[in-house]
Amino acid sequence: MDGIEYIGEHLWVGQLGHFFIITNFMAATLAVISYFFAEKRSELREAQTWKKMGRYAFLFHGISVFVIIGLIFYLMINKYYEYAYAFNHVSDDLSMSYILSAFWEGQEGSFLLWMFWHVILGMVLLSPKNRKWENGVMMFLCVVQAILASFLLGIYIGDTKIGLNPFLLLRDTMPEAPLFAQADYVSKLSGSGLNPLLQNYWMTIHPPTLFLGFASVTIPFCYAAAALWKKKYTEWLKPVLPWALFSGTLLGTGILMGGAWAYEALSFGGYWAWDPVENMSLVPWLLLLAGIHMNLVSNATGQSIKSTFLFYLFSFVLIFYSTFLTRSGVLGDTSVHAFTELGLEWHLILGLFLFIGIALYLFFKNNSKIPVPEKEESLYSKEFWMFIGSLVFLISVLLISMTTSIPVYNKILDGFGWMTGGDYTSWHRAAPADAVAHHNKFQMWVALFIGLFSGMAQFMRYRETHFDKWRKKFSIHMAIAVSLALVLTILSAQMIQMYAWQYYVLAFGCWFAVVSNLDYLITTIKGNIKLAGSAFSHLGFGLMIIGSIVSGLNQHHISTNTFVQKGIIEGFTDEDYAKNILLIKNKPMLMKGYEVTYVKDTIEGFNRTFTVNYKKRDMKNDGKIVEEFDLYPNVIYEKTFQKVAASNPSTKHYLSKDVFTHVASLPRAETDPEYAKQQEDSLGYVDHVVMVGDTFSTQNYEGKIIELDMNPTHLDYVPMEGDFPLGVQIELKDKEKDKIYKICPVAVIRGAKILRFPEYLPESALKVKLTTDIFDEAFTREDELEYQKFVVEKGGTFRHKNTTITFSGFGTQPSHPSYRAKEGDKAFNAILDFEYEGKKYTGKPIYFIREGVPYNIKDEVKELGFHFKIGDINAKDQNITILVAKAASKQEKITLRIAEEVPSSQYIVLEAIVFPGINLFWIGSVLMLLGILIAMFRRIMG
Amino acid sequence: MKRGHIIAIIIIAIGIFALFNAFGDMSRYSTFEDSEKTPDELVKVVGVLSKDKPVVYNPEEDPNLFSFHMKDAENNERRVVMNAAKPQDFNKSEKIVLTGKMVGENFVATDMLLKCPSKYKDEEIFVRSEL
Repeated sequence: MDGIEYIGEHLWVGQLGHFFIITNFMAATLAVISYFFAEKRSELREAQTWKKMGRYAFLFHGISVFVIIGLIFYLMINKYYEYAYAFNHVSDDLSMSYILSAFWEGQEGSFLLWMFWHVILGMVLLSPKNRKWENGVMMFLCVVQAILASFLLGIYIGDTKIGLNPFLLLRDTMPEAPLFAQADYVSKLSGSGLNPLLQNYWMTIHPPTLFLGFASVTIPFCYAAAALWKKKYTEWLKPVLPWALFSGTLLGTGILMGGAWAYEALSFGGYWAWDPVENMSLVPWLLLLAGIHMNLVSNATGQSIKSTFLFYLFSFVLIFYSTFLTRSGVLGDTSVHAFTELGLEWHLILGLFLFIGIALYLFFKNNSKIPVPEKEESLYSKEFWMFIGSLVFLISVLLISMTTSIPVYNKILDGFGWMTGGDYTSWHRAAPADAVAHHNKFQMWVALFIGLFSGMAQFMRYRETHFDKWRKKFSIHMAIAVSLALVLTILSAQMIQMYAWQYYVLAFGCWFAVVSNLDYLITTIKGNIKLAGSAFSHLGFGLMIIGSIVSGLNQHHISTNTFVQKGIIEGFTDEDYAKNILLIKNKPMLMKGYEVTYVKDTIEGFNRTFTVNYKKRDMKNDGKIVEEFDLYPNVIYEKTFQKVAASNPSTKHYLSKDVFTHVASLPRAETDPEYAKQQEDSLGYVDHVVMVGDTFSTQNYEGKIIELDMNPTHLDYVPMEGDFPLGVQIELKDKEKDKIYKICPVAVIRGAKILRFPEYLPESALKVKLTTDIFDEAFTREDELEYQKFVVEKGGTFRHKNTTITFSGFGTQPSHPSYRAKEGDKAFNAILDFEYEGKKYTGKPIYFIREGVPYNIKDEVKELGFHFKIGDINAKDQNITILVAKAASKQEKITLRIAEEVPSSQYIVLEAIVFPGINLFWIGSVLMLLGILIAMFRRIMG
Repeated sequence: MKRGHIIAIIIIAIGIFALFNAFGDMSRYSTFEDSEKTPDELVKVVGVLSKDKPVVYNPEEDPNLFSFHMKDAENNERRVVMNAAKPQDFNKSEKIVLTGKMVGENFVATDMLLKCPSKYKDEEIFVRSEL
């Protein structure tokens, strides 16, 4: 669209932004160079100058990161939709509380979040305490930052685009769109906004935690690389440990939070699904844990320094590999939550090879010089079993990564085929058909060995030379642990289903870890919290795995009612049928001990919340309710209200189990308005024109109109200030069964709209709705009335046409269907008595003052058509003005629109799962992370 | 040879054994026709929804039965049945990855992955409603 002068664009933000994107990358690169020379120059003053330059370059790089982030927020908060990033991630109706989520929803934002944490960690590294390692560590940190910064460049070299520029204009992303032929297109844009699935607080807290975890893994990598570069192979082992422990805590918390999010707020039905994206955040953490254990060993004994180097170096490489997998689009066919392709693949591959290259080059160049003690570790020493445990971690990492990398092998085959001109598509392999079973099958042995080793090694000593002296004590502790673990395993098997011998073995291993670590906590370190890091984390690990056995093996769907479900397709087992249940509104359903009722649903914004009532009855005791609770699963509609964007579960937490509930499906009419209309039109509605007191007859029912209700209640109707509701109370008698139903269809005037709330009887699929002219029929329009004015004193009478009306006095506590009292109101009514054709009647118009403003509400004597209003009050002369009008008396006719045999659209399909023992899992994992945190503080405090 | 090394080597050997074992779990990308020949094997089939055929989900009759037609990479079409509720975002998907096997005329899927069109590729422009 050359030649168009666009109106309303804020181009300066993008220009400024792009400037800082360039300086961001340049400054990081300059810092790398400066720190390189600061280390290499032997002349002190020159080295100092380089170091200073490195610091300033890093500082400027940090400022650039902050400015870029600030500018993106500026775009998003001001809703400058001409920028693609604002357009794609915010919208007019997006609440400001989701602005953070919107920022890191995109690739660019999450890269920046990652860099942000690197900058913060870099600042800590520059504090005087850590300066000993400044040159090397900062250089490698800046290498990482420069690579990350290059992903935001968005510049062209030849025809190749390098990186994604977060300040791209929308019109540059899709220049062919006709909208951009208009000069004032900016004023017509409205953002597409944040994915509704991500509009919850987890999206606010999970990404920053996980990315801090990611960023923190970089620091041990930098220390390891710096140590190899400077050839100081042992001095780094102490200062790196608190960083590694910090990283272990944070990355672990990030991963766990992801699980909690999936469990609490997404309808995945679990906390861990062995999804590729989950796996790839887990493996760097596992390798880091292996590194921490080797680090402890090398600090204590001087053994395993090489392993420490390798584990720390490669846990960062795995972080970057995970970045490559999730951001390149490779996982497209295997993961539910990977990013889609954005053209970063080759860039990511280059980055990955660079880091693998750095790690391998530095390690093998120094391999022969890294000290290895002559003396072999004893079989009875702590370090030996820690080493074996780390190998188990390594095997776990390899197994998980190998399976998760299957899509990568396919790509490599394609690349090979492209080079040789062959087609290897038939060699392509897919992820295991049942990923959960596949990973569990292997990882349960990993968990078993970790459990056993961690319990055993607690009672061993580093550099053991005199195990004979210890043998007895060691044996006693082990014997106690083994026997208690056996007892606990047998007890567990009584309480839960264990299904296979492997699970007995695993449970034993984990109980063993729990018992022996508890023993260690009590008898060896005597409850000293400062020393309790490892005991806590291994105890927690044991509990966590036991929790996952209990909740994983014994989770069961309660949303099943085998009598109602029926087999249609061959190949499905009975078990397969037991997942979802149909709940018709207000029709209780029995499912596995619970009586479940879908009570109502309310819509607020795009959010539709269902109230599902659970009851447990004591059948021996007349079905008395022994327990009752409500759950509130909800669905979030897309802006158009035509599709459901997300279904969020609701969970009842008990100490021993969780009852997890979510709406698996809604009637098509609820998500497809066109279909709903079609369906509604096809119903055979019959109009019944009736009056109050009348009876009428339908196919299956005898009906009677009881009365008009000015203050009706209806399950779906939530009264609002200013509403004008009208309901029709109807009694329906079943023609065949001797059963009477009371229903009340409602119509409401709200502002300029008329809302209708039909009644639906599920028993016979009968639907009753009111027509909109009910208001015309029920109320005489004000402009058709001719009011006459009368001024009367209390006790006085006046004549309206042929009727004598007495103003008997004031009522101080007035009630009227249209009047809802509010605190502070000064309200009263006038009592107007009169006789008409021998019968006595009273009219009670209301007058009230609310917040200094007078209002009046008219009263109507319907049968006669009398309308009364209070016009004016004259306190001085003790009289009031009363307005009276009489419409031609009429009986209101009500049109009831009744359809029978209506297909039910008032139901939900519910999935409900019980997770027993899930709290063991959470308590265990929190304890485990707490243990690592304690260990970190102990190292920092010295 | 040191004792420790022997144990380490044993552990590594177990690991390598497990790795080979794990490779055996890999499944294949297949097509409907191919899957008919291997009735006992769970395979993955990639394809697109046949928009001209009905997507059937009648929870009134059975909340655990969902069926639709899909065309695979070779453009063969089969009815797909799943014992699950219809995913809420099903109609948006542009590509489907099924795990399952052919049983008679139907492809019985045990798992389904939907790839939805990326926001970035979405050509649709959200324009303010007053236009």
